[in-house]
Amino acid sequence: MDIGKIWNYISKPEVVPRLFAAFLCLILAIEFFVPTTYYKDQLYPKDIPQSQIFKSSLAPYDRGGVPLIKPADIKTQYPQFEPIRGKITAYLTPLSQWLSEKTPYFGTTIVSTPGGILDEILYYTRGMDTILESLTLLISFMIFSWIYLNRERVE
Amino acid sequence: MSLNIDSIAGVFYGYIPFGDIVFYFTEFSLIGFIIALFFTLVVYLTKPEKQLEFQIGDFGDKLNYVSLEELKIRRLMAIVCGICTAFAMLTGDLFDYALFLAVIGIANMGIVSAVKKEGVLSAAFYYGIIAMISTLPLFGASALILAKTGTLSILELAKNSHDLLFQKIIYAVGMVGETGIAPFYAAKAEMFRAPGAPYILMIHLSSLLIIVRTVEIMLNVH
Repeated sequence: MDIGKIWNYISKPEVVPRLFAAFLCLILAIEFFVPTTYYKDQLYPKDIPQSQIFKSSLAPYDRGGVPLIKPADIKTQYPQFEPIRGKITAYLTPLSQWLSEKTPYFGTTIVSTPGGILDEILYYTRGMDTILESLTLLISFMIFSWIYLNRERVE
Repeated sequence: MSLNIDSIAGVFYGYIPFGDIVFYFTEFSLIGFIIALFFTLVVYLTKPEKQLEFQIGDFGDKLNYVSLEELKIRRLMAIVCGICTAFAMLTGDLFDYALFLAVIGIANMGIVSAVKKEGVLSAAFYYGIIAMISTLPLFGASALILAKTGTLSILELAKNSHDLLFQKIIYAVGMVGETGIAPFYAAKAEMFRAPGAPYILMIHLSSLLIIVRTVEIMLNVH
């Protein structure tokens, strides 16, 4: 086998994704059989799926608590950096309050606040993640809009 | 829970808490931070290079230059890439680091996608495909580490041994696809024929710093 032919083959840009995908398949196929364990004392606990349905209208995200009075049940890594954690998780806007009385599926809708409920794990304890997620979306829209607006331009 | 600063490699200088995500300074991360910010400043201040192409068997040389509209978007993307690289050096959270990698990957694509040349655009497209498929191992590995250890903080993971070898392999593969492979595409002739030296070099610098930082994280987390 001529090694020069192999070098020429992998030098094409369209070949690299194929090789990378094959490499990824190989790694993940091996990793699939690697035994792993589940640590019970999780940092961001969530109820068992379907365990809250029809008991609370905020079904998968009901963490309890009263806004500004009684903190919700939230476990965090560094509580000393989050003095007011859990205080606003239970807050609902008047519109969401009204809707949550009408339907048992309110927790799965997107109404009046992002995610329907002000989830503090997203916006307070892990706020930097939310900033970066929206930044990714923003940058991709910037790139797309620049390419779209300048599609007529020729060099 | 108190902040664990004893098991981290290097001298611990300080931290910036953003809730659960703690940015921390060691001498390694501080040097990477300063290099990335300095180069971002260089990218902001310098003008892009111009190229003179010889026409073989013909008269008249062709001048390649970066037009003003193209300069603006490429400089913006290079600065976003530089700032994200700088803060990826500091972050003390595995999932946050993965998100920084995703932003850097998409900013890398933005740097080259403004060039109106077929070869450059096709190379950027294939790089985009790799960055897209490698989000699965990257975020999947963070999820596996969270499931196995119950925490994502690098400072906490460094405290005691968790036997994370295979999860770390997937994480590293995700890093390779997201930004580690970028210089491979940038170094291909198609991209380098695109003028605009400081912007293309930003891809190289960010990828280099990210690889080194990933190695540091993988050695700290165990």
